[in-house]
Amino acid sequence: MIPDEPQRPSEDFRVNFFRPRSDYMRRKVHTIWGLLAAWALLTFGFQGLLVLSAEEVSGDGPLTRISLLGIPFHHWFTGQFLILCFILLCYIFNTRVDRLTRTQPKRK
Amino acid sequence: MIGESVKMTPAVLLLLALGISLIVGLYARARKGEYYLGTGHSIGRMGIGAAIASNWMSAASFLGIAGVFYLQGYFALAYVIGWTGGYVLLLILMASQIRRFGRYTAPDFVEARYESTAARVLSAVITILISLVYCIAQYKGIGLVFGWIFGIDYTYALLLGAVVALSYILFAGYLGATRNQQLHYAMLIVSFLVPLMFVAYKLGYFWPLPQLGYGQALQDLSLGNMREYVSPWTFGTPFEWIALCFTLMVGTAGLPHVLSRFYTVPNPRDARWSVLWGLFFIGLLYWSAPAYGAFARAWEARHTLAADGDDVTALADIIVLKAGEWAGIPEWLVAVLAVGAILAAFSTITGLLVSGAGAFSYDIYYRLINPKADDRQRMAVARGTTLVLAMLVLIGALNPPGLIAQITAVAFALAGNTLFPLFLLGIWWDRTNKFGAIAGMITGMCITAASLLPGHILPGFNALFPPTSSALIGAPIVIVVMIVVSLLTPAPSLKIRRFLAEQVHKY
Repeated sequence: MIPDEPQRPSEDFRVNFFRPRSDYMRRKVHTIWGLLAAWALLTFGFQGLLVLSAEEVSGDGPLTRISLLGIPFHHWFTGQFLILCFILLCYIFNTRVDRLTRTQPKRK
Repeated sequence: MIGESVKMTPAVLLLLALGISLIVGLYARARKGEYYLGTGHSIGRMGIGAAIASNWMSAASFLGIAGVFYLQGYFALAYVIGWTGGYVLLLILMASQIRRFGRYTAPDFVEARYESTAARVLSAVITILISLVYCIAQYKGIGLVFGWIFGIDYTYALLLGAVVALSYILFAGYLGATRNQQLHYAMLIVSFLVPLMFVAYKLGYFWPLPQLGYGQALQDLSLGNMREYVSPWTFGTPFEWIALCFTLMVGTAGLPHVLSRFYTVPNPRDARWSVLWGLFFIGLLYWSAPAYGAFARAWEARHTLAADGDDVTALADIIVLKAGEWAGIPEWLVAVLAVGAILAAFSTITGLLVSGAGAFSYDIYYRLINPKADDRQRMAVARGTTLVLAMLVLIGALNPPGLIAQITAVAFALAGNTLFPLFLLGIWWDRTNKFGAIAGMITGMCITAASLLPGHILPGFNALFPPTSSALIGAPIVIVVMIVVSLLTPAPSLKIRRFLAEQVHKY
């Protein structure tokens, strides 16, 4: 495959998001998958929910009629709560990767 | 539309603010050695976060979002979410890997990863294009605010603003002043939030947290005769909302001047945590920006001033200032807002013009045209490029093609269609090679360019690829092109794959 450089048989430099090779990377990729799913569901899933629950073309429905903290619910969720969720997702990612890194043996 | 006389307070305040940031910059330069060699720990992750935020906050954040929210209500939240959610992508997919890769400009990364000068030059061209489009939006903001301060027409205000901006940039560069990012962030956020509290107070809404107080304004509008304004899909379909939001997210994760921020971060762990702080500091502004739009609408509803069509569009990008004036907050507070907007725009164009000029003088001129050029020649080319770029931006801004946020979104679409796939695959798939990278960049540029054509040339194309939102479908297409072309051509060298596996993805 790579003619100009000799490949040592014991070494494998394949990097693939869908086929993580080391144990560390497998765990990390699992974390990433989970967070990506949460990120997509919260952002786009909620818009889908708005579409599904709409009773009028403008999108009005039960979700837009109720309000939270005095804000129409859809505005509260997207304009306020989602940003908080994003910060939380970052927090979860960082603490998980920190823990993963700590439990790995030191390597040169 | 705009008052005829010069407003003294904002004019004086502007001079003062520019002077202060120049002096602080010179002070920072005097202690530069200590400041940089002691590195991150003295600033801390929170400080780096503030630097990320101050680097990010432009006229689009300061004026643009409130403007779109005023015009398009819920649809504008696609901008808010796109420009914050993008940081989640950036963090979980790229931040620490880019830090470990150790290349901080897009062309640097591209050449190191894809081992190709052609790919490097192409990515430099893209970087310059992104800078140009992004700057046009900033210039529009500068023109509008200068027009407001000095009571002159947009065209004259734009020329004046451009001259002031350019002389400030060149003067600061000549003195070698660096920007104190933390102070800059503090100045911006205070000048945005304090007037907002006053606006809420004057209009009788919950002022200690105007971010929640504007909910009541929306509620009032929805119970009054402006129910449609509050509804989700009045100003755009769900597809348009999602396409825009996604485009801005991937664009954020591929924007050159965001990525190069990680340069000052001491290690990958701090890089990760500083992204979280950066997102929090950016969030502070984005939680609040829609409030200006909502309060302006509420004021109009009370005064039965339902402005329509062109009037509203003309007002939108300075609605932040108008909301202040309408609510009747003291003039000096409106002045604070205006100066904040100008500072945000100035610092953004400084960064963009410098990186654009750097990309030309180093990546194109030195690497391609004249490899024998010495430092002095390259400096001269960089200065010249700065001027040329500034002129091009000025021409583009004379007849701004859209709202500030919309123009900025086009830059994000380009970044999302080109640099995002380049970084994503470059980091997560060792098999991506230079042929894939070049094919991907060309495809991405074509998609972005085609989305800007008038609708009748490619019927139906604009529906799937709106100019501001072409990356929802564009970025996946580019990724597929990169994968297919990479698989059809030889694998990249063992050296870079080894580096990727052992260094970039090490724990």
